[in-house]
Amino acid sequence: MIELLDLSKSYPSPDGETVALEHIDLTVPDGAIFGVIGLSGAGKSTLVRCINMLERPTGGKVVIDGEDVTALSKKQLLKLRRNIGMVFQNFNLLEQRTVEANVRFPLELDKTPKEQAEARVTELLDLVGLSDKAKAYPSQLSGGQKQRVAIARALATRPKYVLCDEATSALDPTTTDAILQLIKDINRRLGVTVVVITHEMRVVESICTHVAVIDNSRIAEVGLVSEVFSFPQSDIAKQLIIPNLIRSLDGGEGVKLRLVFNGEQSDEPIISALAMECRIPVNILYADTKNIDGRAFGHMVLTVPDDKAAQAKQFLDKKHVSYREEV
Amino acid sequence: MSTLFTQLWSSGGFWLGIAETLYMTAASAVLAYVIGLPLGVVLVVTDRDGLAPVTWLNKTLGILVNIFRSIPFIILMVALIPVSRALIGTSIGNGAMILMLVVASAPYVARMVESSLKEVDKGVIEAARSMGANTFEIIWKVYLPEARPSLVVGAVISTVTILGYSAMSGTIAGGGLGAIAVTKARPSNAQDVIWLCVALMVVIVQVIQELGMFVARKVDKRLRLNKKSKRLHENSDTDPTAV
Repeated sequence: MIELLDLSKSYPSPDGETVALEHIDLTVPDGAIFGVIGLSGAGKSTLVRCINMLERPTGGKVVIDGEDVTALSKKQLLKLRRNIGMVFQNFNLLEQRTVEANVRFPLELDKTPKEQAEARVTELLDLVGLSDKAKAYPSQLSGGQKQRVAIARALATRPKYVLCDEATSALDPTTTDAILQLIKDINRRLGVTVVVITHEMRVVESICTHVAVIDNSRIAEVGLVSEVFSFPQSDIAKQLIIPNLIRSLDGGEGVKLRLVFNGEQSDEPIISALAMECRIPVNILYADTKNIDGRAFGHMVLTVPDDKAAQAKQFLDKKHVSYREEV
Repeated sequence: MSTLFTQLWSSGGFWLGIAETLYMTAASAVLAYVIGLPLGVVLVVTDRDGLAPVTWLNKTLGILVNIFRSIPFIILMVALIPVSRALIGTSIGNGAMILMLVVASAPYVARMVESSLKEVDKGVIEAARSMGANTFEIIWKVYLPEARPSLVVGAVISTVTILGYSAMSGTIAGGGLGAIAVTKARPSNAQDVIWLCVALMVVIVQVIQELGMFVARKVDKRLRLNKKSKRLHENSDTDPTAV
């Protein structure tokens, strides 16, 4: 379990101080794929680097498996880092080493006996599906392949945690999906806890169990993906999750109801039932539904005339559809 | 043809000159790297955003390097006469010349090494840190191997520079092609000897340059499949104004 307790980080800058993180409290439970999402400059990259002390926090604590890592000696810290793999946006492979030598690199640092290291490398390349590229150099690989090598490298020392810093941001959509599936697969099969830093909603949607929305150096919202996605509370979360929703709520007549599909509804057509059975003239202002983990999630904004609002709400309650009245 | 030319030609004087030039250049280059390489590494590591920032050390070394680099070689030679006498017992000949060349070029080499290492992608360094590599391991396993092609190119440029300086060895009774041209041919106005010495120097520079670039390409694993970037690389690295 990774716990960030009242974590702060600021940098000295010409005009005093630049604050990157402020009073961050987060708990990453074991086995989770924990997404940290925010716009660029929100402080999420700094946050992930505070976990393995690539950046020293200026306040608060980082506790990993009960141990305060901000208090570790240099030597202990190097050891801790072998238990936390890291994957980067730009892959950061050693360009002068072959694929297998890249994967072997952390094992060399760990002084793993040669035969054992070789066996581990073979196993890892097999895991990420690059056994045939063992002798290739990074410059001969595509972006997706490079990231697979980086993932294999991050897993080499059998870490309990893997940190992904915008791991798919440099990849095209198809490759992104493949890499995300690989990360998910690793989480499930090896039980590795993953922290995913991203600015892309779809990354969180497709693999994360938990999400923290970070805005302006602070946590705006945190929780299970299914909850946060259904009822985003903060403006920033709403903006990230349902970007067009805010705009659709501006102006107009009648009562606006935001329906939330959280994967538990029957596939009964709600809108037509509202219109036909209840004879309420509904207007759809916004609709966006997605399939996450095999269940339907999404939002829909309806307007109903003021005098029919109560009736519509009653109907939705009866059908167990969650909704909020938006003002 | 001048008498000096025939004399040198028949006695193998030119061969001796080539050998002495190569000897002084090679020995000086090797020793300059023995000093300059670690110095360059220290400059990078102790830098403000280096692996182990030590500002005062970095600043001091930086200033020392700049001072030595700004002294004209001929003046440095004169200044080093007592130092040479104290260290190797003499201030003339090839040995003294090598000492002077090393003192003059080690700071230059340090800057070359520094700039090569600074080309290494910061992200790769960060990745190594994230894997628990210590400073020494990062230098040894990341900085130096990743900068290898650039280091080789730097070594070629440094060697050619040292070769140029070595031509001044005549002033302290050293040997080599430069000494033949300056101390022997010049007083007797043997133009043909001077021109042959120049031509031989040009050939030596060409050979060092071509060989060095061949090695640099050979050790660079980034270029395997990429003909276009190979060409780009060649053009950018053989900077004629670098000396």
